[in-house]
Amino acid sequence: MAATVFAAIDIGSYEVSMKIFEFSKKVGFRELNYVRYRLEIGKGVYSSRRLDHEMVDAICMILKDFSRMMQEFGVEGYRACATSAFREMVNPVIIIEQIYQRTGIRVEILSNAEQHFLGYKSIAAIEAGFKKMIQKGTAILDIGGGSLQVSLFDKDALVSTQSLKIGSMRIRERLRELEKTNNHYDQLILEFIRNDLTAFQRLYLKDRDIKNIILMGDFLSDTIFRGEREEHIVTMEEFMKRYEDTVYKTEQTLASEMDIDQEFASLVVPTMVICKSFLDIFQAESVWVPGVSLLDGIAYDYGEKKKFIKSAHNFENDILVASRNIGKRYSSGKNHIQGTTKLALAIFDSMKKVHGMGARERLLLQIAVQLHDCGKYISMADVAECSYRIIMATEIIGLSTEERQVIASAVRYNTTEFVYYENFDDGAGLDRERYLLVAKLTAILRLANAMDRSHYQKVQGLRAVLKDRELHLIIDSERDISLELGLLKDKVDFFEEVFGIHLVLRRKRTA
Amino acid sequence: MDIKTFEKSEYFVNRELSWLKFNERVLSEARDKNLPLFERLKFLSITASNLDEFFMVRVASLKDQVHAGYEKPDIAGMTPREQLREISAQTHDLVRQQYSTYNRSLVPALEKAGLHMITEHEDLSEKQKEFVDRYFEDNVYPVLTPMAMDSSRPFPLIRNKTLNIGALIAKKDKKKGKEVLEFATVQVPSVLPRVIEIPSEKADTKAVILLEEVIERNIGKLFLSNDVVCAHPYRIMRNADLTIDEDEAEDLLVEIQKQLKKRQWGEVIRLEAEEKMDKRLLKILKTEFDIKNEDIFNIQGPLDLTMLMKVYGLDGFDQYKAKKYIPAPVPEFQNDKNIFDVIREGDVFLHHPYMSFDPVVNFVRQAAKDPGVLAIKQTLYRVSGNSPIIAALAQAAENGKQVSVLVELKARFDEENNIVWAKMLEKAGCHVIYGLVGLKTHSKITLVVRREETGIRRYVHLATGNYNDSTAKLYTDCGIFTCDERYGEDATAVFNMLSGYSEPKRWNRLIVAPIWMKNRFLELIDREAENAKKGIPAHIMAKMNSLCDPVIMAALYYASSCGVKIDLVVRGICCIKVGIPGVSENIHVRSIVGDFLEHSRIFYFFNGGMEEVYMGSADWMPRNLDRRVEIVFPVEDEKIKKQVIHVLDVELRDTLKAHILQPDGTYEKQDKRGKILLNSQMEFCREAQEAAKKNKKDQKEHSRVFIPAEPAEDPEATE
Repeated sequence: MAATVFAAIDIGSYEVSMKIFEFSKKVGFRELNYVRYRLEIGKGVYSSRRLDHEMVDAICMILKDFSRMMQEFGVEGYRACATSAFREMVNPVIIIEQIYQRTGIRVEILSNAEQHFLGYKSIAAIEAGFKKMIQKGTAILDIGGGSLQVSLFDKDALVSTQSLKIGSMRIRERLRELEKTNNHYDQLILEFIRNDLTAFQRLYLKDRDIKNIILMGDFLSDTIFRGEREEHIVTMEEFMKRYEDTVYKTEQTLASEMDIDQEFASLVVPTMVICKSFLDIFQAESVWVPGVSLLDGIAYDYGEKKKFIKSAHNFENDILVASRNIGKRYSSGKNHIQGTTKLALAIFDSMKKVHGMGARERLLLQIAVQLHDCGKYISMADVAECSYRIIMATEIIGLSTEERQVIASAVRYNTTEFVYYENFDDGAGLDRERYLLVAKLTAILRLANAMDRSHYQKVQGLRAVLKDRELHLIIDSERDISLELGLLKDKVDFFEEVFGIHLVLRRKRTA
Repeated sequence: MDIKTFEKSEYFVNRELSWLKFNERVLSEARDKNLPLFERLKFLSITASNLDEFFMVRVASLKDQVHAGYEKPDIAGMTPREQLREISAQTHDLVRQQYSTYNRSLVPALEKAGLHMITEHEDLSEKQKEFVDRYFEDNVYPVLTPMAMDSSRPFPLIRNKTLNIGALIAKKDKKKGKEVLEFATVQVPSVLPRVIEIPSEKADTKAVILLEEVIERNIGKLFLSNDVVCAHPYRIMRNADLTIDEDEAEDLLVEIQKQLKKRQWGEVIRLEAEEKMDKRLLKILKTEFDIKNEDIFNIQGPLDLTMLMKVYGLDGFDQYKAKKYIPAPVPEFQNDKNIFDVIREGDVFLHHPYMSFDPVVNFVRQAAKDPGVLAIKQTLYRVSGNSPIIAALAQAAENGKQVSVLVELKARFDEENNIVWAKMLEKAGCHVIYGLVGLKTHSKITLVVRREETGIRRYVHLATGNYNDSTAKLYTDCGIFTCDERYGEDATAVFNMLSGYSEPKRWNRLIVAPIWMKNRFLELIDREAENAKKGIPAHIMAKMNSLCDPVIMAALYYASSCGVKIDLVVRGICCIKVGIPGVSENIHVRSIVGDFLEHSRIFYFFNGGMEEVYMGSADWMPRNLDRRVEIVFPVEDEKIKKQVIHVLDVELRDTLKAHILQPDGTYEKQDKRGKILLNSQMEFCREAQEAAKKNKKDQKEHSRVFIPAEPAEDPEATE
């Protein structure tokens, strides 16, 4: 059958929702069902960091319904994602297991960076407008219940993305008591978020010229921007009018005007104030509310992986550009990194049969190379540990926490002694699979890095040929590479240990 | 659209009084000598059961309002008390007419037709008396429970709607040494047939007697040691319904809920008594039931005329009954093709009972068996006993299909029935949902999800009538089958909503109540008004069961005042007044009462020539538009659109069964002189049969006859 049916589930802070899509090569993807249930999971979690029993029951009841609806459309694959509410919990793994036992649905927790990467893929799903818009300076603002994400684009690529813990529901919960004693709720919110905003502006925005803003998330398109046509661009004046129209109203008025729940309506003002604050610091000209949701992104991602969709935009490149920018922030040597990348990829590509890794791992390797010496910025003496800490503390869009951990570990063992799985107890909690991945990436990274030890990019070309269990690396260099070759010894040993092959290094014979 | 000026109470008719007018129209069918005699019995019986329901639901509700001290006038400016007063006066007239029809017209006609109705046991012949007494002893006596009232025994509980015989018994009071009268009563058992056939005196004729007459004749046997002074049948109606009628306004519901404790449970709201009842007996009943004179009906004949339905069911007399109409096959389905293939070729229109309901049942049946079908979803409101649809749904679940059924438990008359079906479906593995709190689910929709070569495809059946194969033979309803993806997507959204999930962000095609429908209708009406103002022809045609939504009516007045031509076919309640200068001069209202119960809802808007046609489950009543889940859907297939417009057109040309609303509020049949005689229902029967026959013939010709090819004509040669 040329078509396949897929379900995307989002367990968000205030809504549990599912979309069922049909994928086919002919039409790409088509939405069959969109079902939503309002459930304020975030409300309790943000204060107590736990989910009460009734809430678990409610989630299970909905997921059981969802699972039935999936059968109604003959769903063959699904992806159920939980976001910030689950991330905030102290015991998400336990809750997820309970949900699985009760409903048969496996829920995965998206890291903030993954979530927003998927969210941003969802905009790309309605490609035309997006592609055109990001040619100019564009910011995507995704306001969630717990946190918000702001991503900056320029010349068709993502340049920076940051998560700020000032989501609408979190603000509402924090200010709940103060609201009663203050007449100007909007001012109160503004003050509450000002510090975060100025920090963002100073560190990340700098003098970037942002013309357009894309407002993400279906909350806005469900409330203030309801009834907006998808392609409609809102001008600043129009936006300000809406702002004035909403922020001075009470929850009750908003609830009845928009015909929504009062709980839900109470998120409108915080959301609007956040939007306006960002619009102010960006001094943007226009706003676009495409009304897409994480669900579209999950589906788009699935369609891409299963090759139903071919995107015009290179998302992997976004991840690379974003990590390159992180490296830049810590003053990594551009040439050394470029040289090492070339070497590492040449090794990687030549021995696919040996290491069995795929495109995603290749991407991780590239990022590992890009960030392998960022720790120097903090301390020349303790590069490994500092690099590890920096990577663990920096969100990289499109990567899950686990993937980031793999990269951080590979970078750490690039220059420190490798710890074997049996003795592995660094608190990172790598499982067997990821441990092996770390070992493989470390081996390649070490080799490639050592070849450019002097940072002079002496190796101009590298040809790798795999013959049975021997990997011949033919180095093309006109310079003296005795330093590199001399230091290579122990790296080669580790490489041979990990991949179980013999490595032969030789210089390209010059004519 | 400024409609405020059209919301004056003098522009509207009270809905209860309008309903009584409807029952009068049904009664006029019983009085129509052109109708077969037994059909007239049926109509008279219907007026009686209608009236019972009217009392139980509407009058009871008004009584509640009076008790709750609710004084708010209705749209016609009448307070509940005023309404009750007027209803009492008019129902007394109606009942008088019912019995004059029965006594003066029907009984003599039945006699002529060879059915002797013995209305008084005194008229029995000796032989018959013997038969009757024997019947009494063998069948009736064992199930009777006579009850007496005296100082030690209080007045017994008389059950709602039951037929009873009250009697006065003479007893010797030993202390006082004189005779005293005591009250006694006995229920006419509902387990025994009310109409009893007895040996006839004449050849070729039948004779029947009513059960209460048999008991009355033998009443002495119940009180052996005492003298029965008199015995007369009576019947009461109580306000014992626990639920509050959903038709009432929101604020009233709140008010009544508050007053619930004060509500007089089981209050008697109507007493029917035989006209010649002994004054002393009547007085006892009046005191014990605490009932006012205006709520007492003195009946000149047998109580509870619904028994005439039983008379209709007597064997024989076929020449006095209308020939049973057999629904015609639907042309599109007169073949061996898979039902889904047929629907894929194009939307299909169904018009019941002229066309058969079988395709609807087959739709579910085939879906249950079809290997590609993944899911079936359906709303069930009132289902027939032994419903083939229920069986097919259960079968589908057993075959591993995902079956979701919405069962509306609050459907009037059928509550218990529905619970039984719901449980059965659950057992079979169906997912049964019970709809939304506070909103009755009245929409009629079926969705089948099927996996096909090209992907998922949704098939939808949308209708104006319930999924009930029995009523589909009596109610006129329309429906369509479609696999248009926009309808399919909406159908899925409807079921999501009914399962308690958020409503979709937008609807493709369906118009759904309670949230979106009313405004949509107002927009459509306003659009016609705007066109009329610009001088563009503007026309609204609408057919429904009842019209009493104040906002919609005001909008119609507004549209009429702008020059929109408005033709309404409203079977029952219609609170609009026609012919008010400057307000409703352009409004024409007719009501069709015929052999079949008019039930479809169709809405037509001229829209400057881009005609729009909608059908659905909703009447223009507040309860439909504000407090129910209803669906109205546009008819977009051009061929079907023509068919639906034709339905309206024929009904608007009906000269035989249409009653036209007059400016004075009465309904009158038209003067037939110089007009083509047209009975719309019969016309639809004929058309449906013809279409089926023609289709069959065409098929035959196509399949059996080989047409030899002819050489192409040379155009040059003919010159």
